[in-house]
Amino acid sequence: MPFAFVDTLTENFDEFLRGFGTTVELVVVSFVIAMSVGTLIAAFRVAPNPWLQRIGGIYVECFRNIPLLVLIFISYPGLRRAGIDISAFVAGVASLGLYTAAYVAEALRSGVFSVNKGQIEASLSLGFTYPQTMRRIILPQAFRTVISPLGSLIIAMIKNSAILGGSILALNDLLKTGRVVASRTFDVIPAFVWAAVGYLILTGLATLAIRMLEARYAVRR
Amino acid sequence: MTLAAFGWLTEGNNLRFILEGFLINLEIAVVAIILALVAGLGLALLRLSRNRVLSVAAGVWVDVFRNLPLLLLILFLFLWIPQSARDTWEDVMPSWMPEAWQSGLMLAGLSGLVLYNSAVLAEIMRAGIQSLPRGQAEAAHALGLNYWKAMRLVILPQGLRRMVPATVSQLITLTKDTTLVSIIAIVEVMRRARTVTATSGNPFTGGGVEAPILEVFLFVGLLFIIVNYSLSRLSRRLEIREKQRSGSKPDIEVRGLEEQVA
Repeated sequence: MPFAFVDTLTENFDEFLRGFGTTVELVVVSFVIAMSVGTLIAAFRVAPNPWLQRIGGIYVECFRNIPLLVLIFISYPGLRRAGIDISAFVAGVASLGLYTAAYVAEALRSGVFSVNKGQIEASLSLGFTYPQTMRRIILPQAFRTVISPLGSLIIAMIKNSAILGGSILALNDLLKTGRVVASRTFDVIPAFVWAAVGYLILTGLATLAIRMLEARYAVRR
Repeated sequence: MTLAAFGWLTEGNNLRFILEGFLINLEIAVVAIILALVAGLGLALLRLSRNRVLSVAAGVWVDVFRNLPLLLLILFLFLWIPQSARDTWEDVMPSWMPEAWQSGLMLAGLSGLVLYNSAVLAEIMRAGIQSLPRGQAEAAHALGLNYWKAMRLVILPQGLRRMVPATVSQLITLTKDTTLVSIIAIVEVMRRARTVTATSGNPFTGGGVEAPILEVFLFVGLLFIIVNYSLSRLSRRLEIREKQRSGSKPDIEVRGLEEQVA
């Protein structure tokens, strides 16, 4: 039995590795989308123009409260039926990226607001220009407070990426590989356990990386 | 996209068909959060137990299940839970329950949701309990209360109140996650929406007006946005009230919880 358990991995190793790679690819591409769109939306939300603020607010409330699976149905079969030729991969990373962007925007916004307003005033009165103030005073402090929430978002993205493989998109990610191996070999438990180990490796590595960043940039008093 | 594209909504009983499906999602969310709260409290108490073995075991359990994709758990349980257990579920469920609940598949879906969410909630509760000043526990012991009495009368009432806003946020996530059970063929709003699109209008007879996938799922999304937005407003208000009551910021900081995503 224990040998059969290991055999499931060794005999299907290439397949598992490819699934692992696809999951990493999905997470990385979605993260780039989430960071870019999220930064833009955060900028909207702190902009002086009330209309931009409102657009940012609506974006956040819509994408944060809708299930990822519904976004996938809107972006893949929905858009395709409406005549837009979108691939499963693009629909998947766009859904996950735009979904997470709402959370990124909130994390960035609260990070900027966490820095005391007096710091800006003090910095300006010391003769720093506004860009200098942002770059040297505000953003380094905001960055520290943002590491932890952004880290949890990456972990959530790793977990959410499984929805791309499990849904109608049927991308060959780690979860899909586990399912395929399970249904071909009938070794349900080992196939899913190895897929789970893959996800735990990813979330574990992400947790470790965030802890190191936090320790590096922690405020020492 | 014009208003005419939403004509299917008023056709036949489409609107009612979708809304009833959505109600099943809400029912699943409520049942799952209650079970997850009970199981989560048990896990949190084990985690804080003075017995090293129990505490480490509970810690590993919680860390494993909250770091796995929920869909992986649901699909695994779907394949792993034996037919006999599903049959028992179907026998036990009273016939007045909605159809989706009578399906043996619900056992796998619900177990997955509870397994994942109890781990997440256990971590929220642990943080809530540990955020109390040490003096509270020490004072309780000095007054002669034993471990369980101190827990029940002093620690838990305060600690659990601090985690109410975080629990409501988790309920939002859980409500969204209920759509995942459609992947193991439980008929809730996602499946019903697909039925509506597949039969171009009337789910029973077919025919009628065209129900485009895009518009149908935009409508389903809107239902979730309305309910979850209301819940998030509620969570924010509870948080403000808690701050006013305790006179301080309830300093619950748990990695992966303050901005929990699905």
